[in-house]
Amino acid sequence: MTIQLLAFYFFAFFAVLGALLVITLRNPVHAVLSLVLTFFSVACIWMLMQAEFLALVLIVVYVGAVMVLFLFVVMMLDIKVAAAREGFIRHLPVGIGVALIMLAEMVTLIGLRAMQVAPPPNPAAMHGESNVAWIGTALYTQYLLPFEVAAMILTVGIVAAVALTLRHRVGVRHQNASQQVAAVARDRVRLVSMPAERGDPGAQP
Amino acid sequence: MSWNDVLTMLPELYLTGAICVLLLFDAFAGTRYRSAMHWLSMLALLVTALLVVSAQRAIPATAFSGMYVDDTLAQILKLFSILSVALVFVFSEPYLRMRKMAVGEFHTLTLFALLGIMLLVSAGNLVMIYLGLELLTLSSYALVALDRDSPRATEAAMKYFVLGALASGLLLYGMSMLYGATGTLSLPGIAATLPVTPHQSLAVFGLVFVIAGIAFKFGAAPFHMWLPDVYEGSPSAVTLFVASAPKLAAVGMALRLLDVGLHPLLPYWQDMLAVLAVASLVIGSLVAIVQSNLKRMLAYSTIGHMGFLFLGLSAGTSFGNAAAVFYAIAYVLMSTAAFGVILALARAGFEADRIDDLRGLNQRSPWFAGLMALAMFSLGGVPPLFGFWAKLLVLQSAIGAHMLWLAIVGAFAAIISLFYYLRVVKVMYFDKPAEDSALLVSSDASLRWVLSLNALALLALGVFQGPLLDWCLRGFGG
Amino acid sequence: MLSTSLLLAIVLAPLLGAVLAGLLGRQIGRAGAHGVTILGVGIACVLSFYVFYQLVWGGAPDYDQNIYTWFQVAGIGAHVGFLIDRLSAMMMVVVSFVSLMVHIYTIGYMADDDGYQRFFSYIALFTFFMLMLVMSNNFLQLFFGWEGVGLVSYLLIGFWFKKPSASFAGMKAFIVNRVGDLGFVLGIAAALHFLGSLDYGTAFAHAPSLVGRSIQIIPGHPWSAATVICILLFIGAMGKSAQVPLHVWLPDSMEGPTPISALIHAATMVTAGVFMVARMSPLFELSTTALSVVLVIGATGAFFLGLIGITQWDIKRVVAYSTLSQLGYMMAALGASAYAAGMFHLMTHAFFKALLFLGAGSVIMAMHHEQDMRYMGGLRRYMPVTYLTMWVGSLALCGIPPFAGFYSKDAIIEAVGASHVWGASYAYWCVLLGVFVTATYTFRMMYLTFHGKERFHVDAHAGHGHDDAHGEAHGERGVLAHAPHESPWVVTLPLVLLAIPSLLIGIFTVWPLLYGNFFGSAIVVAPAHDVLAEMAAHFHGVLALTLHAVFTAPFWIAVAGIVVTSYVYLLNPAMADAVKRVLGPVYRVVDNKFYFDEVYNALFARGSVALGQALWKGADVGAIDGVMVNGSASLVDRVARRARTLQSGFLYHYAFAMIVGLILLLAGFLLVPHA
Repeated sequence: MTIQLLAFYFFAFFAVLGALLVITLRNPVHAVLSLVLTFFSVACIWMLMQAEFLALVLIVVYVGAVMVLFLFVVMMLDIKVAAAREGFIRHLPVGIGVALIMLAEMVTLIGLRAMQVAPPPNPAAMHGESNVAWIGTALYTQYLLPFEVAAMILTVGIVAAVALTLRHRVGVRHQNASQQVAAVARDRVRLVSMPAERGDPGAQP
Repeated sequence: MSWNDVLTMLPELYLTGAICVLLLFDAFAGTRYRSAMHWLSMLALLVTALLVVSAQRAIPATAFSGMYVDDTLAQILKLFSILSVALVFVFSEPYLRMRKMAVGEFHTLTLFALLGIMLLVSAGNLVMIYLGLELLTLSSYALVALDRDSPRATEAAMKYFVLGALASGLLLYGMSMLYGATGTLSLPGIAATLPVTPHQSLAVFGLVFVIAGIAFKFGAAPFHMWLPDVYEGSPSAVTLFVASAPKLAAVGMALRLLDVGLHPLLPYWQDMLAVLAVASLVIGSLVAIVQSNLKRMLAYSTIGHMGFLFLGLSAGTSFGNAAAVFYAIAYVLMSTAAFGVILALARAGFEADRIDDLRGLNQRSPWFAGLMALAMFSLGGVPPLFGFWAKLLVLQSAIGAHMLWLAIVGAFAAIISLFYYLRVVKVMYFDKPAEDSALLVSSDASLRWVLSLNALALLALGVFQGPLLDWCLRGFGG
Repeated sequence: MLSTSLLLAIVLAPLLGAVLAGLLGRQIGRAGAHGVTILGVGIACVLSFYVFYQLVWGGAPDYDQNIYTWFQVAGIGAHVGFLIDRLSAMMMVVVSFVSLMVHIYTIGYMADDDGYQRFFSYIALFTFFMLMLVMSNNFLQLFFGWEGVGLVSYLLIGFWFKKPSASFAGMKAFIVNRVGDLGFVLGIAAALHFLGSLDYGTAFAHAPSLVGRSIQIIPGHPWSAATVICILLFIGAMGKSAQVPLHVWLPDSMEGPTPISALIHAATMVTAGVFMVARMSPLFELSTTALSVVLVIGATGAFFLGLIGITQWDIKRVVAYSTLSQLGYMMAALGASAYAAGMFHLMTHAFFKALLFLGAGSVIMAMHHEQDMRYMGGLRRYMPVTYLTMWVGSLALCGIPPFAGFYSKDAIIEAVGASHVWGASYAYWCVLLGVFVTATYTFRMMYLTFHGKERFHVDAHAGHGHDDAHGEAHGERGVLAHAPHESPWVVTLPLVLLAIPSLLIGIFTVWPLLYGNFFGSAIVVAPAHDVLAEMAAHFHGVLALTLHAVFTAPFWIAVAGIVVTSYVYLLNPAMADAVKRVLGPVYRVVDNKFYFDEVYNALFARGSVALGQALWKGADVGAIDGVMVNGSASLVDRVARRARTLQSGFLYHYAFAMIVGLILLLAGFLLVPHA
């Protein structure tokens, strides 16, 4: 048993443990933190496989950005967890049963032998370049089109997010800074010259 | 990347550019230019269609190192997708105007979805399949939720999103298994490697998940649960879209995956599709009977139709594939006609989506009652309408693939499903209109004309189905 | 070469006219309606003549092409295609010419009718279907045209649908034709089964393979395949061409407007059966049994149905029974393998019978829609054109040389005499005596209508006949509001134009049609059956044939008929009643049309109503409605309601269903072994 294998089992254990905690913990903030643990463990496993770039991106993007956003949302929303939990325990046996059946089927179908497939050679090492350089090359040559399509998907995400959240509320008083700046004195005060004496008593009061 | 690559996928590139222009136009022009947005979108569709037509080539072309494939199948599916999106725009324009819904987002998101469809049906690689699908579904989720003030639409979007994410996860998992088994993501590459790979059981395992993903996309039972809720909950204009072009995308995706990539595993997926087909036929035809909401009924009818489509796919022959494409086209044109009538009847505050809302339509508007009846008869597969030929072809291909029992189940399902289609006809023709009902057909001229053409096409294509069938057959070297 | 677009124009021009007149009738008005339909049919007529000219004199080869493939299923193609050879070209000319005449005539005849546009739309539509029928190159299109003309015939018989007798007659025609069409469809199916194709060309090419093949419908009794096919097809022809015993609809069809009787029920549609059998000659030649059946049934109709004509008083019914008799002649010719003679008689008959019908219609118009000959008489003074043209038609019908009917009918009688198939001698006597019968009823009709004393009188105050033309009462019968007068030119012009071929066409066409191998390969005759070849040996030119007539039996039999009739109806009117009394029982049988209607009513109509009642009460309401329909419907309903509850609306239920589905699919792999 090499040190690498030992490390793999260590990180794999925490990855699975984190995932389990995500769905069992009562406090949503704790659940999100467990998810961070899972991501972190997975990133470490990638690191073991010499996929440094992916490992770092996972931490930077998911742990650094997405999970923090999740935390904000969860903290702001103040979700009542107890109600959502209620069904969980009741359905747990069924869930576990289904999961076990699924596991049994997977194992029988694929066979344990097939799981001991030797990993394919590291393409980056074959090209004699670093992992980052190789991903960059592949991404911008062979996988250029998927890369661009992914960009389109992100655009859709933005459009959808704006379309679903941007609201022009009517009747809301809000400042219009440009109008405030552009205001001049004569717009604010209008001097009206009026005769000082009373007019004809028969006229309007 | 070469200049050739760019030229090969010119329609998609043009559409992308057009969408960006439309986005900017919508952002800066504001709501005053609603109709301009509509017509510009139609123009974009027209040019895209022309580019697709002009690219007709005898031999398939690939671009971007095999990521993108342009062949007859892709062209058929693209053209009919563009056509159906155009129909969606025309039919939904008055609806959106009356409800003051965000017309700009509707158009751009629908066009994004169309782009996804076009990429999906042209995919030559698992990654492209996945990305095209995500582009399509992400746009669809947003479209369903577009009517933000409707709780039902929000709920439907939520369900669609969560289940869609689950299905995408399954699909992706299956794809990763395929990659693990074959070491390649390219579909032809997978087909070439599968017969020699030592990890075939792994590939078969992945196949199950891929099939589940496909079945979800089609809305085949038991992966159909999202469909009725989404159909009913969405604004009718969005339902019209969800019920049309994505089915063509689904058939394209299934054919790319199963016919191009996984054909060596035919004996495995054939049975799976057959089982899914039977489940869909049964659920679709039975549950639709007890629906009182027209959109929901059409949703179950869709499930049934997807069962028929699977009959064609499960044959695994080029004739079966052509029959499935033919069926998808027929289904799309039939459902645009049916939903088009709903849209034509809908007004502010009145969705016209209950079956009872159609009571006595014949007395109010015989012409539109006739069109609806035509659509219903065609959906039910009454000869000589379009739907009849579609059903006939898939049944024939099932028999040709020695799956007689499947064809028998299909025939029974067709008979049962006639019941609820005919009920709509009965309600329109024989029931008295409710006293307070003011069934009014939209006065929008382009809606009326295009809807009439759409419904009459069901008759025309039923009588002259030959060229279309030939075209579909040519997509599979037939 | 015949171009496809030319042929398409022939078919589509009448259709376009029909559609315009039918859908836009109100917009384009009466003149517009008859304008577009006459234009359409006129185009078809001119082009048909052109096609005929090209084929016969222009040296154009036969045209046989599929134009549109409707569908292709399991190697069987359903096409729209045309087979234009001399047989179909001749039919096209006859159909479009008679149709054009009838269109023109209708302007006058239907002038006062509310359904003017509808009528023109129907007859143009009929022309379309009839042309599709004769120009077809496959069984399916033949059937399309066959059903199409049947449909239009039904619509037109019941044209005055407010009249109960008319709608009854329409139903009767439709139902009786169903019987024939059932046989026809089975025949087509049998042909498809044994010959493997719906196309004439392929099917006929495979026809010799039928020899020796058999089919077992009743186990243990193999029947020759050719015989089964031919008899089934002939059953179709029996319905459409009104052969015994499926003839009962034709006399009743006279309830329809007279132009229809001329066009559909005399000249064209009823000859479709004859045409079809001639077209199928390669099949019929393979079965002597089938030929015998055709011959015997045809000859029976020729004689016995003619007899009924003698007892009728309605002028149109007389002509109708004469049509039945003449259709019998045509069929008898086909049964004797003298297809050319049958087609020849079909053509001459189309002209002179259309003429007789249109003439009868002209008389009816003059008599203010009185059809009973007992209230006519002496009309020759009032309507000379109708009178003269009717005489031409009558002489042609009786087969007096040199009128057209002589050549065709004489050839048939001779051919039947020369035939050797079973039943030929019986048939020969039938067709021979039929000549006497024909002369009798024809002259009786002419004498009753045009000669003798006027049996009506004119009373200017006696209501107005035209308005309730198709209503019931005329007030007192035999009383006219004003004197009968000659019909307008739109009516007499077709009469004159039809009288010309009725007089002359026989002289010019007898040689090429009968002996000149006119039809070429379109008609196949087995050498053993070729009676026309035998007759050709005795043919010495048209003049010789005409002069020779005075030495033949048919001529003298006709003359005998004429003499007897003249004596009875011109010189000694009391004689008719005396004859009637002497022949009492026989007369009653004939007068009641051999009781066909009564038997059919008792047996089929009442029988099927009783059977229907029994099935309805017992089987339908009890077993099918109660158990099967409602039972399965409620089962479906229950299952559906149960299944609906699965759709709970809860997201996790849905997701759970997906996972379960996935597990089941996976389990499927474990449980079902694969290759």
